[in-house]
Amino acid sequence: MAPGRKPKSAGPAPPSSTLVLDNGADTIKAGFVTVDDDTGDKAPRVIPNCIARDRHNKTYVGAELEKCKDFGEITFRRPVEKGFIVNWEAQKEIWDRAFFDDKAPQRCDPSTTRLVLAEQPNSLPALQTHCDQIVFEEYGFSSYYRGIGPSFNAYQDIQAIFHTPRTPDTIIDVPAEVILLIDSGYSHTTVTPILQGRPLHTAIRRLDVGGKLLTNHLTRLLSVRHFDMRNETYIVNEMKEAACYVSLDFKGDLDKTWKGTRGERRKDYATGGGIAKDYVLPDSHTRFHGIVRDHEPGAAARARKSAVSTEDILTLRNERFSVPELLFNPTDIGLRQPGLADLVMQSLSVLPVGLWPGLLANIVVVGGNAKFVNFIQRLQVELLERVPDECVVRVARPEDPIVSTWLGAANFARHEHADRLAVTKQEYEEHGAAWVARKFALGLGVDTLR
Amino acid sequence: MNNFGVIEVASTATKTTPGWAYVPDTGPSLSATALQPKNRKRAARNTQPGLSLSDLTARQENKLRKDLEALNRDNQRDVNIPVPSSSRSSHKHTPTVRKILQSQKTFANHLDDYQALLALAESNPAAVVNNPLLFLNKPVVATPQAKSASPAPVREKGGSKRGQAAAKRAAVKAAAAAAAAAEEEEEEEEEEEEERKRARQLAAEGEDVEMIDSPAAPPDEVEKLVETYPADGTILPAYRKRPPAVHPGDGDPLLVSVVPSFPTDEELRSLMTAPPLSYMDSRAAFGEEGERYPIRVFCEMCGYWGRVKCMKCGVRVCGLDCLEGHREECVTRYGL
Ligand SMILES: [Zn+2]
Ligand SMILES: [Zn+2]
Repeated sequence: MAPGRKPKSAGPAPPSSTLVLDNGADTIKAGFVTVDDDTGDKAPRVIPNCIARDRHNKTYVGAELEKCKDFGEITFRRPVEKGFIVNWEAQKEIWDRAFFDDKAPQRCDPSTTRLVLAEQPNSLPALQTHCDQIVFEEYGFSSYYRGIGPSFNAYQDIQAIFHTPRTPDTIIDVPAEVILLIDSGYSHTTVTPILQGRPLHTAIRRLDVGGKLLTNHLTRLLSVRHFDMRNETYIVNEMKEAACYVSLDFKGDLDKTWKGTRGERRKDYATGGGIAKDYVLPDSHTRFHGIVRDHEPGAAARARKSAVSTEDILTLRNERFSVPELLFNPTDIGLRQPGLADLVMQSLSVLPVGLWPGLLANIVVVGGNAKFVNFIQRLQVELLERVPDECVVRVARPEDPIVSTWLGAANFARHEHADRLAVTKQEYEEHGAAWVARKFALGLGVDTLR
Repeated sequence: MNNFGVIEVASTATKTTPGWAYVPDTGPSLSATALQPKNRKRAARNTQPGLSLSDLTARQENKLRKDLEALNRDNQRDVNIPVPSSSRSSHKHTPTVRKILQSQKTFANHLDDYQALLALAESNPAAVVNNPLLFLNKPVVATPQAKSASPAPVREKGGSKRGQAAAKRAAVKAAAAAAAAAEEEEEEEEEEEEERKRARQLAAEGEDVEMIDSPAAPPDEVEKLVETYPADGTILPAYRKRPPAVHPGDGDPLLVSVVPSFPTDEELRSLMTAPPLSYMDSRAAFGEEGERYPIRVFCEMCGYWGRVKCMKCGVRVCGLDCLEGHREECVTRYGL
C-alpha cells in the first residue's frame, strides 16, 4: 500500500494513496486506491457502522459485530442519522478501530493519504462543516474530497451494467454521459440525474423510505399477527432481506394470500399460493441465522404444539411483498410522499424534455433495497405507464448494488477530476472550513468539448 | 392482543370532537411536523368524495405521526450505549474537534437549527446579508452573457419556484456553514481571525474567476448553435453514442419530436452548475395534480383490503373473521 511517490514538480504532488469511504448508515464501505498503479483494493471491506450491545451486555464496535453469535434483543447506536454523520463521538470510535489504531485492519497514515468520502445529497451545512473539520483537524488527511454518493456511480462503466452490446474498441465514457441514479439505502431513497459526472442539483428528489423503515414496518406487522418482535430488529431485518420481494401484481398477490371470509378457507391460502414461506427463526444456540422454507401447511402449528420441536416458525404471507411495496406506495402507511416512479417523474419534470430520453434509458439503481427481487422490473413497468409510448425505459442494477457507490468512488479517485476537486490540508488551514464547503458545493463546473 | 403497551387515555374523552383533539404530550416538534407536512389548502378544495389522507381527524393525524416516528427509530425502545473507552493514547483535540465530539445533538436538532436560520433569512435578510461569506457565495448559475436569438424553451412546471429558492438557499447555506465555522473560531484570537477572513476573502475572490469555467459563448456563436443543433452542442454531444435500441424502432419518432426542445448549452450550463437544494426542498412532496393520490386501506389485522369498518373505533378490517379478532383489542382499549 505504499507505492513509489510521484516526482515532485511544482507544488506538492497529490498523495498516491487514497482511502475511499462510502460511510453509510448501516455499513461503511472502505478500501484503498493507488493512483500510479493498479495495486489498490478491487472491492471494499464492508464494516457495520454501529456500536451494538447484545443481551449479555457485551458491546461490539464496527467490525467486531462479526464475533457476535446471539443477535436476540441486540440494540444499536448509529453515528449516521438520515444518511448523514451526526454523532462524531461514535463515528470516530468506529473509524479509529477500522483505520487508525495500531492494530487496525485497514491501517492508514492520513498525513500521506487522500480521503474521498461519499455523502448523501442535500445535507445540512453544519453537518458538512463538522465532517470537514474532523477530517483535517482531528485526522490530518493531506488531501480530501467530499462528494455525493450518486455522482460517484457515474464513474463506473455504466454500459456494462446494462450489458449494452459493443465492440472491443468502443470507448468507455468515464464519467458516463448521462445517467439517472437511484440510491435506495437504509435511511431513504434518492433520485439524481447526472450529466458527465455533474449532478443536476435542482432535480434531486428524496423519498423518506429506506431499509430501516421497511424493517420496522415488518416488525410491526409480525408483532400484530404473530408475536412480539419489537426488540428483534436484527432478526427481522435478516428475514426481510431473505424473504421479501417486490410484487409485480399487488392485487393478485394480495388475493392469493387472503384467508377468506368467515369459515371459508381459500385454496391459495391453504397451499400458500406459491407465495407463503415458512421462516425458521434463529434460536441463539444452534441456529444463529434464520432459514426460509417453502410453506408447508401446518408446519408452524405442529412446531408450536410439539414438545420436541426446537423450531419457531413464522409463516410469511402478504408481509413478503406489502413491505417493499412502501417504496412504490408510501401512502399505504400514511406517508405523504409520492412513490418511486412518481419521484422519478418529479425529478424529470424540472428538466428540459430533451434530456428525458437519455435519462430514462440509463436508470441505475444502487443501495441495499435494489436487491429485492423484482425491484427494477416493477420500476420499469411503472415508468412505462407514465412516459410516452415511444420512450425507451431501461432500468438496471449493478451486480452488487451495495458496493456500487464505492466502486464508482474508487474510479473517481483515479480520475483527473479527483485532483481538480480535492482540497489540501494546507488550503484548509489557509482558507478555513467555509471555503472548503463552498468549493465542494461548486463542484466541477462545465467542461466544453471544444 | 398486543397494544404496544399504550393505553390512550385521552382519546376516549375526545374522539368524537370534530376538528379538535386533545394533544397529550408536548406537541409536535418543528422537525416532526416538517417531515410530515399537511397541505391545509387542500381540505377546502377537496370536494370529491372518497378517502384521502387529509380527511383524517386530528386524533388519527396524531396517531399517524407517532406511527411514522416509530418507524424511523433505530431501536424500538430507548437505549443508551456508551462508546466503550479505548486504550489508545488520547492525543489533544483542537477546541473545534472537542466541541464536535461532545455534541449530542440529533439530526432533528440540527434540522431545527437550520430551519430557524432559514426563517431568520426570510424575515430579516439583513442579519444574514451582512455576512461576507454570504455575499461571496452568489451561486454560479450561468448568467447568459448573450441574449439568444430564440428564447430558451419554456419549462415552467413548478420547478422554477424551486430554482429561485435554490439561489436563496445557497446563500443561506453558505451563511450556515460560515456560522458553524465561526462558532468554533470564536475561541481564536481576534487578530488572527481578521487575518483569516481577509485571506479567505481574497482567495474566494480570486477563485470565483477561476471556478466559473469557460465563459459563455459570444452571441453570434450562440445563434449558430441554435441553428445547427444538435451537431454543434459543446457541452453534451446529444446522443452521439446512444446505446443500441432495445427493441426495434425505439426512439425514432420520439427523438424527432424531441429534437427541437433539446436543451441549449446555456440551459445545460445552468443545470450543471446550480447549487444544491436544501434538505427540506429536496424532499419529494405531492404536486398539485398528485393531490388526489389514491389511498389504499388495509385490514389492520391481516393486511388484506380493509373493507369493513369497526363502528366503535373506526379501524378497518377485511371481514367478519378479522373483525372478531379486532373486537378483543377494541374492547380492551375502549370498553364495551
Ligand atoms: Zn383481515
Ligand atoms: Zn374497533
